[in-house]
Amino acid sequence: MNSRFLFFVIAALAAHLPLAADQGSVQVTVKDNKGQSVADAVVSLLPLDTKPILAPLAEPVIINQRDQEFEPLVTPVIVGTRIAFPNRDAIRHQVYSLSKAKRFEIPLYGPGVGETLLFDRAGVVALGCNIHEWMTAYIIVLETPFFMKTQADGLAALAALPPGRYRLDVWHSRLVHEATREVIIASSDVAAQTIAITLRPNTGKRRAPDGLGGGYK
Amino acid sequence: MAVTNNAPTVIARRHSFAAKLLTLLVGLVAAAQIATWLIVSRDNLREARSLIEADLRHATLAFTNIVKDRNNLLGDGGTTAARDYAIKPLFTDPDEVATLASALPSIAGSIHADLVVALALDGHTLASAPAGEIPGGVLRKLIAAAELDESPTPRATGYAYHRDRLHSLVLVPVRAPDTVAWLVLGFRIDNALASTLHEQTGIDLTFADPQHRVVATSLPALKARTLLASPLRPTTDAALATVPLGDDTALVVSRLLPAGDGLHASLYLQYSLEEKLVPARRTERILLLVSLGSLVFAILLGLGFARRLSQPIEQLAAHTRVIARGDYITPLTLQRTDELGRLADAFRAMTAGLAERDRVRDLLDKNVSPEVAAQLLRDGATLGGQEREVTILFADLRGFTTLSEKLTPQELLTLLNRYLDRMSAAIEAHGGVIDKFIGDAIMALFGAPVPQSDAANRALDAALAMEKALVQLNAELAAEGIAPLAIGIGVNTARVVAGNIGSSRRLNYSVIGDGVNVASRLQSLTRTAEYRTSLIASAATLAACCQKSSLGAPPASSASPGSSPSSASSPSSALPTFRPLGTVPVKGRAEPVVIFAVE
Repeated sequence: MNSRFLFFVIAALAAHLPLAADQGSVQVTVKDNKGQSVADAVVSLLPLDTKPILAPLAEPVIINQRDQEFEPLVTPVIVGTRIAFPNRDAIRHQVYSLSKAKRFEIPLYGPGVGETLLFDRAGVVALGCNIHEWMTAYIIVLETPFFMKTQADGLAALAALPPGRYRLDVWHSRLVHEATREVIIASSDVAAQTIAITLRPNTGKRRAPDGLGGGYK
Repeated sequence: MAVTNNAPTVIARRHSFAAKLLTLLVGLVAAAQIATWLIVSRDNLREARSLIEADLRHATLAFTNIVKDRNNLLGDGGTTAARDYAIKPLFTDPDEVATLASALPSIAGSIHADLVVALALDGHTLASAPAGEIPGGVLRKLIAAAELDESPTPRATGYAYHRDRLHSLVLVPVRAPDTVAWLVLGFRIDNALASTLHEQTGIDLTFADPQHRVVATSLPALKARTLLASPLRPTTDAALATVPLGDDTALVVSRLLPAGDGLHASLYLQYSLEEKLVPARRTERILLLVSLGSLVFAILLGLGFARRLSQPIEQLAAHTRVIARGDYITPLTLQRTDELGRLADAFRAMTAGLAERDRVRDLLDKNVSPEVAAQLLRDGATLGGQEREVTILFADLRGFTTLSEKLTPQELLTLLNRYLDRMSAAIEAHGGVIDKFIGDAIMALFGAPVPQSDAANRALDAALAMEKALVQLNAELAAEGIAPLAIGIGVNTARVVAGNIGSSRRLNYSVIGDGVNVASRLQSLTRTAEYRTSLIASAATLAACCQKSSLGAPPASSASPGSSPSSASSPSSALPTFRPLGTVPVKGRAEPVVIFAVE
């Protein structure tokens, strides 16, 4: 079960089950400074009054390397989650990160599941491939179970939140300034938050044209 | 005469028509040439300046491009070097700074950078090769510029002093895969770069620091210092400045290269005006030669033309002098078809007219006495007259009819003319005027048309001189075997009317009156044998003669022949002797005339 599925379950609970008296929910819409919906942003709520229970999944989360791209691009996980980087291509990859949260390097490996790594420090881990420069992915390691990645409509709906004060954080790979605010979640309450963030231009490392690098898949 | 005339001729020539024409022609050509030369010279200078300006702009662009190219090369090289996955982790690990510093010189060596500096994401220097500091302000500006660059290979460029040496810098990100650090790569702005640019563009470059010292130059060191010693300062508008450099003039454009933290470098691009003008100067020299050539040509042409024009004029002038001398025979040898030819034709016509007039005048002189001719020419031939006292002399050949029978008509005419010539000479020598020849007879006037106070004396003297001349002529004729001639002369003094007599078409200056008939009558009386004289004068003549010559001694009817000569004071040496012959009646006159034989 991957994290995405988990969020789906949480969202489904919030939407369809009768709400317990001690649970609130919040709908966060992330837009950029031009008013466009921002996908692949991670909205997280960190309880300020209580220490949340962190229960990482037993199974490793999967970040595939397929068609010389990482997928998904953004993967939010709870601290202590294990992640596997299966190579679905016919060629080899060399996955690495120089981020403080997790410096690692998996030497060249061919098709298969490959190494599974434990992400036990909170922070953003930027993934790269030493062979294919354009390959990029981000792992957001969080110290809270309350998080969600925005969809194409920029919406992240978080439910089953114990009432109380939270720090609401929004992360995006091209975020210029940190977007942090404090919110109070009340029971039986659906709070709506719209957060505008400023993004750097999408300079994105371009993948070489097919004729140059896309021969083997 | 000709020698003394030379000097004025030379002076006159200086102001002559030919000289003026020549001056005008040469002046025009010279003015045109000078104007052309000035225009060409000015345009050459303008063109040279414009060419240099274009060259300087081109060189500025070349400089910008060469710096851009080298920055790009260094940027690409740096990016590639930082991608090395052995080196890449060194940028993010604080423990590996020493390792990173040790790696930089090899990066510099492999991409031919003069300077490599590793920066942390926040801009602080991690390591530098060679060691040294780039002002923080410069680095912050570069990072800010690179972050704004949306291209796949963002980078920023600038200038900075590193260890007091001017460098061109390029900053590129170190990516893993996001930007985790920055790498700055630089190359020195040095003489080698200036020389490279000079080779490419032909333009000299000089870089100066804020203290206006030479940083790098393609010029000889001394010349570069001279340039920077000038009051030249960099401007932002890239205006063209003219800087005197020794014996040369340089056109200079400048650029300000900001080098961070209030520092800058100045770039001066220059080109020698003289060097650019070399082909123009060559053209100008050729033009000058052409100008001189055409000036010489104009002078020759002008001289030739002036000569062609002035020669006939001088010829005409010379001919005028010929005509002034009265020579109508020498022809004017000027054959032209132009205006001067027409002038020559008019001249010939005028000469012909003058010759005609002179011939008329000559004929006048021959047909009338010079005095009458002169009076006619002076007063015009008008009818009219005036009454005045005139002494009239009539002379006639004796026995001419007999003579004419013995001679051929030609011989006769020759003899007659010879006779008349001598007589005329005698009359004119004494101031008499031949009034007319009537066959072999002569009528002469004294005291007309020019009044003479001693007209009577002159008439008598003339009569005596005629007799003397006849004696001499007869001696000549005797030698030729011709029979001697004899004459009779009558002289009378009377008041007559003198003037031009005749029709409006033909006039004669003459006198009319009773006195004329008397004179004629006295002449015919000489035929009278008992008088024994060939010269008879009237009492009136005697009276006029004596009144004039003997100052109031009245001529008595029996005047002694010896009384008069003693008191002679007239031009004639002595008074002739008068022998009374008595009185004779004259037809048409009531009173008879008292006559005397003059001897």
